[in-house]
Amino acid sequence: MKGLLKVLSPFAPDQSGAVEALYEFGGIIVVCDAGGCTGNICGFDEPRWFKKKSAIFSVGLRDMDAILGRDDRLISKLKAAAEGSGANFVAVIGTPVPAVIGTDFRALKRIGEKKVGLPFLTIGTKGTGLYDVGEEDALLQLLKTFALEALPVEKGTLGVLGATPLDISSLSAAEKFTEAYRQKGWKDVRCYGMGSGINAVRRASAAQQNLVVSPAGLKTARYLQKKFGTPFTVCCPLPHKLPCGFQSFYGKRLLIIHQQVLADTLRDSILQSTDADVTVASWFMMDRALRESQDLHFESEQQFQTTVMRGGYDVILGDKMMKRALPDYKGKWIDLPHFAVSGRLVP
Amino acid sequence: MGAMAEAFYRTAAQLAGSGCDELPREFQPDKHLIYSSPATLAFNSPGAQGFGVKRAGLAIPGSVMLLISPGCCGRNTAASGPSGGYSGRMFYMLLDETDIVTGRHLSKIPGAVKEICGYCSEKPTAVMLCITCVDALLGTDMERVCRSAQEAAHVPVVPCYMYALTREGRHPPMAAVRKAVYSLLKPMAKRADCMNIIGSFSPLSGGCELYRLFHKAGVRHIREISRCTSFGEYLNMAQANFNLVLNPESRLASGWMEKALRIPSIEISRMYQIDKIHNQYRLMAKALDIPWEDQQDYNAAQEEIARFREKYGGTVFAIGEIADADPFELSLALLRYGFRVSEIYGTINKINFRFLQKIAVLSPDTRVYSNLSPTMLYYRPSTPQAGITVGKDAAYYNPGCAHVMWCGEEQPFGYDGVRSLFKAFAKALEGVAK
Repeated sequence: MKGLLKVLSPFAPDQSGAVEALYEFGGIIVVCDAGGCTGNICGFDEPRWFKKKSAIFSVGLRDMDAILGRDDRLISKLKAAAEGSGANFVAVIGTPVPAVIGTDFRALKRIGEKKVGLPFLTIGTKGTGLYDVGEEDALLQLLKTFALEALPVEKGTLGVLGATPLDISSLSAAEKFTEAYRQKGWKDVRCYGMGSGINAVRRASAAQQNLVVSPAGLKTARYLQKKFGTPFTVCCPLPHKLPCGFQSFYGKRLLIIHQQVLADTLRDSILQSTDADVTVASWFMMDRALRESQDLHFESEQQFQTTVMRGGYDVILGDKMMKRALPDYKGKWIDLPHFAVSGRLVP
Repeated sequence: MGAMAEAFYRTAAQLAGSGCDELPREFQPDKHLIYSSPATLAFNSPGAQGFGVKRAGLAIPGSVMLLISPGCCGRNTAASGPSGGYSGRMFYMLLDETDIVTGRHLSKIPGAVKEICGYCSEKPTAVMLCITCVDALLGTDMERVCRSAQEAAHVPVVPCYMYALTREGRHPPMAAVRKAVYSLLKPMAKRADCMNIIGSFSPLSGGCELYRLFHKAGVRHIREISRCTSFGEYLNMAQANFNLVLNPESRLASGWMEKALRIPSIEISRMYQIDKIHNQYRLMAKALDIPWEDQQDYNAAQEEIARFREKYGGTVFAIGEIADADPFELSLALLRYGFRVSEIYGTINKINFRFLQKIAVLSPDTRVYSNLSPTMLYYRPSTPQAGITVGKDAAYYNPGCAHVMWCGEEQPFGYDGVRSLFKAFAKALEGVAK
């Protein structure tokens, strides 16, 4: 049955992606829920929660708030929390409750900005989508709100888009990207959302080039290209070393399951040194422009099981949590942690 | 964020003076945003840690759960996968937007239950259908859906309501799930030597005097759902002569058991003031008309306290609410034993306000913080710091102290709880000294 998970557990939802994209920008992030969604985001999907403080709050909706649509109470709570906080913005994140009661996020933004006096980002996530959908929307809104001015291009400045722990499965991604790209000659690497704050976003138009490390960053990269003419490339260096060299992949049929950009980058690296037949697959967004004809998109546990078992793959590179759904798979499995799948960071 | 902002607090004297109905806004969770602090995740999202509805619903031996919800509601159960001990017992039916708009998922549930039963290597004893805020708002008649699923799969199907929206309502989720897990019991002949302990989903600490004293009073079978190893043993809970209720959230369940199974109940509370424990036991024994000799246990607890006081008499405590204790009752107990309490992190309600009033007399300057206040984002430990913290939240706020988490799987209770707590205090301070 489609939508029935018998072995796997649900992946990181859209609301988690939205919160993660905005985590490090000094805003007040308000999850429009009864409490459980915020607990899930902070307690499970956001590994930075226990190390780096961020103002994430739950609205604490109760049945009568939902039935009567008491948005005025939300605005008044927001106003109280914003007073004296020095926050850069307010972000209101949707969950299933506002989705069911049909909360008017546009009206909330208009009224909120007027009453609270801060820029409002309203992300209409519903809890039914996957993390990258929420991340994509939040990142785009953030850049549209704060990167307003066309600044002179600063040579040697690289902007990194689409990096969150959910995508990269590492808390030190910013440092790793910076190191990797400094070695390639870039002087200033600004990893939006992991390491670089709101001032870097305000100066996004000054970047000489953008680097997109996950599909969730593509829409924003295209927007910045259109608005400021900033070119972009798509590549996500692996945040950790594989336990084996690529030589063992000679003549093999490989399946890489991850977010599309990371999987594509890994495929390119493998194909540079071997003759392996490599297919990329993902449960998440797959951009058409990046997709090759044999690539796969999974939509259900059952489809995942049948497709992979019929594919005759010698090696699968993917989060080992998925292996549970393939008890009869006899090939080699190389663990490629994906935080959005299993909640595991790379070692 | 603002450098000048501070965590909001009031002293015990200020709060006691304002009265329970006139508490500052920061102590009224419905008046402000809720800070889901790392310290209090278990409070704000009971499903994330501790016994939330999902884990509690699986208390029936051999049962499995189907969570019917958008993906976000089941996300944290990835953590309770193979290592969490619930592998093979949690299943998910993910709702999409069309399901939510049309309610079409309801007609698929019987088929899903049947598919799950076919998938399990052993037929489940029951399937718990867990639904969330979405179905609360849609007004889903889950009883009816359960009946259809039961007919399709030939297995008992029980609804479990994870309605976070109704947390402060008449039947909050944790009260409703306590009733749900006993709902498969059928009336049986009563046995005078059987009783149940209800209230938590994990067993009482094995050393708790209740077991010994009830055995001495002639009770041969003391049953707790968490100690039932088979479905048959669980069904035998219906033989009980009475239920001993240890958590007020079980009143809905005990009321139902009284009506449907003719099992009366008596309720006692977890306390750390030994004179109150003694008094409570005395009244309970009188109501049950059983012999009860707890003086030895009383003395042992008193001696444990005295031993600790002798060695660590000047200890200052910071007490949190993410612990197996009411923070105000525990603080009052410690103050009455002669210790100091510098901070309390807790949610004030009508029941624990009476403890706060007594605290205000003994220690008017004790600072009281609301864990849920957004200002807790700016919390800084006061100087001088407390010596010991109790609870996960207090430990988070005061990293430099000795910590006693006091929220294990086994439930502390009575004199044994007091003894174990003071032993834990001594151990924590000895650890710091080393």
